[in-house]
Amino acid sequence: MNKTIRRKNLLKVSGIAVGVLALSSTLLVAPSQAAPATGSPIKVGVLTDMTGAFAIVGKSNKAVAQFTIDEINKSGGVLGHKLVMDLADGGSAPDVATQAASRLVNQDHVSMVVGGVASFTRVAVRGVIATRGKTLYVWPASYEGNECTNNVWNTGSAPNQQVDPTVKYLLAQGKKTFFLAGSDYLYPRNILARVRQDVLAGGGSIVGEEYVPLDMTDASNLTSKVVAANADALFEVVVLPGTAPFIKGVVDAGYKGTIAGTLFDEGINPLIGTEAQGLIGVQDYYGPIKDAFSQSEVAKFNAQHPEAKGLFTSTFNAPAWYRSIYLWKAAVEKAGSFDTAKVNKAMDSVSLSKSIGGPVGFAPGTKHLKLSMYLGQSNGDGSETVLKSLGQISPYQCSAATN
Amino acid sequence: MSPSVIRGIFDVFSLTSILVLLVLGMAIIVGMMKVFNMCQGEFVLLGAGTAYLSYQYFGSVLLGILLAPVVVGFFGLVLERTVIHRFYANPQGALLATFAIGLVIRETVQTRMAAQSSLVPAPISSSVNIGGAVLPIWRIVIMIVTLVLALTIALVLLKTSVGLKIRATLDNPELVASSGISTKWMYAWTYALGAALAGFAGAMIVPLQTLYPNLGYENLIPMFIAVMVGGLGQFAGPIAGAALIAIPGGVLSQFINPVSSQILVLCFAIVFMRFRPMGIFQRGR
Repeated sequence: MNKTIRRKNLLKVSGIAVGVLALSSTLLVAPSQAAPATGSPIKVGVLTDMTGAFAIVGKSNKAVAQFTIDEINKSGGVLGHKLVMDLADGGSAPDVATQAASRLVNQDHVSMVVGGVASFTRVAVRGVIATRGKTLYVWPASYEGNECTNNVWNTGSAPNQQVDPTVKYLLAQGKKTFFLAGSDYLYPRNILARVRQDVLAGGGSIVGEEYVPLDMTDASNLTSKVVAANADALFEVVVLPGTAPFIKGVVDAGYKGTIAGTLFDEGINPLIGTEAQGLIGVQDYYGPIKDAFSQSEVAKFNAQHPEAKGLFTSTFNAPAWYRSIYLWKAAVEKAGSFDTAKVNKAMDSVSLSKSIGGPVGFAPGTKHLKLSMYLGQSNGDGSETVLKSLGQISPYQCSAATN
Repeated sequence: MSPSVIRGIFDVFSLTSILVLLVLGMAIIVGMMKVFNMCQGEFVLLGAGTAYLSYQYFGSVLLGILLAPVVVGFFGLVLERTVIHRFYANPQGALLATFAIGLVIRETVQTRMAAQSSLVPAPISSSVNIGGAVLPIWRIVIMIVTLVLALTIALVLLKTSVGLKIRATLDNPELVASSGISTKWMYAWTYALGAALAGFAGAMIVPLQTLYPNLGYENLIPMFIAVMVGGLGQFAGPIAGAALIAIPGGVLSQFINPVSSQILVLCFAIVFMRFRPMGIFQRGR
């Protein structure tokens, strides 16, 4: 008798336990999905590196996010709600970024997350935010391609938008032989694979391809190989802090060809010094582009954020951060809701007729933007000359095999 | 000789001289004092930082190169009297303590820097043309300075009374103390000399690279390998060790890619240490 009562109690207790668990799990998921009360502020998760190697980029990102959010709030917010920035420091390290992203999604229940500086951050946090967190994640950086995870949206430029026009320009300039050099990790390898493909398709030839370890402090051997190969053009993706010593070494050793890359603009040139003179690249924005809207917005940004003056540059992803928040706003308004599933669906075809850098829009089914791009040439004083406005370039297409 | 062969030979000498220059201070602190000084890389960083600050405030990198050994040497002296001397009987403690000090210095520089990396121009930025190869003069200066400095230190240690006192202190502190020499200050000044040399090296090489927080730390591993290959107990061991790993590294990476050559050099170092565990100049026991 006693035993059956006990068993009954046990059943009761376990029933309650299951009930509580079920309830708490719905509670855990519910707040981010529920419709917010009218007029209550909406949290925008801003994930960037305020400390560590990319702190300078984080400083720019934070200021651009604040600038964009302030501007949206001044014009009435989104669906009648004011936006507030919820800043999380990724620490320039994937483990720190994962914790920061988890805090944004699971504790603060932000409406969406925009951010990440390096691709390793994106790879580390996309599961926490987009897949398991069921929260919209906007990745605002020029990157190596192949990001097509559900709930993730790419607002930076992809290899076809930067590399293709750069190689096309070099070939048109009569450059026939190419040397490819990069740091030994995912981004440079993918970028240079695209360069190789474009050069060979355009009738040029590759006379050398070399990668240096990230911790190699002195790349003088690579410099010698570049000088010895004496190619018409050098396409380089040696990342910081190796960029400046490598380019200086090559130029000082008497290399006379054209140097091109994906990481040159007003943000990086000052770190290279006078040897930056003549570097070729394609970006989604340069200071002197002829676009009245961009000029007036960046002037406003510099006035409102003196701490980030001069940091509104393409290589710091500033234009991509700006349009990320506006594209999300457009999608929310189109969906009439902050619900992730509905906004995710609406994102597929939103566009902006005006943005810093020029008009942009998602091409349905690609998760990437049709982007306005510019061909630029670096000057020795850190500034850029825009050689050509390339107009809107079609978006990147993920190959079917990925993700 | 074709220009590319000249450049190749030049690169090997250049890479070797840079590693030897970096290892000079370590040869004293790790090689002779046997303190496993994990913040040796940060002494290099502080020297590079001195060069940068001197360039920013006085417009002269050369002044920074002269100031770096003084500044970093003084820093080393203070560090020895406050922290390091407590750990002579406790090598594991010294390893952890110096690692912590290095971390604090690195992170402090990280938070104080406004950019990811900063340029420091070489005092002589021109090049010379030798047989068609355009070679930067600053690298030649580093080769000569390294050679002169290494020989001078070796002579001081072997031929002068100061050198004799230093070697005696490290060999048999009790005997030296009972002979009326202050071993406390001998240790402190020897450590300071090791720090000063690292600071000087940092200021000399930063124009070839850029100033960034991990500048010293990324050089620490090759520096330690040089000391381990060369062997502890005398000044010349680590210097020869630096040459022994830099030369094959420089030669190999001209024929195969730099990633593979790095791995091969590490394998070579491991095999070498297996057969000569006491270093280049001493037979294994």
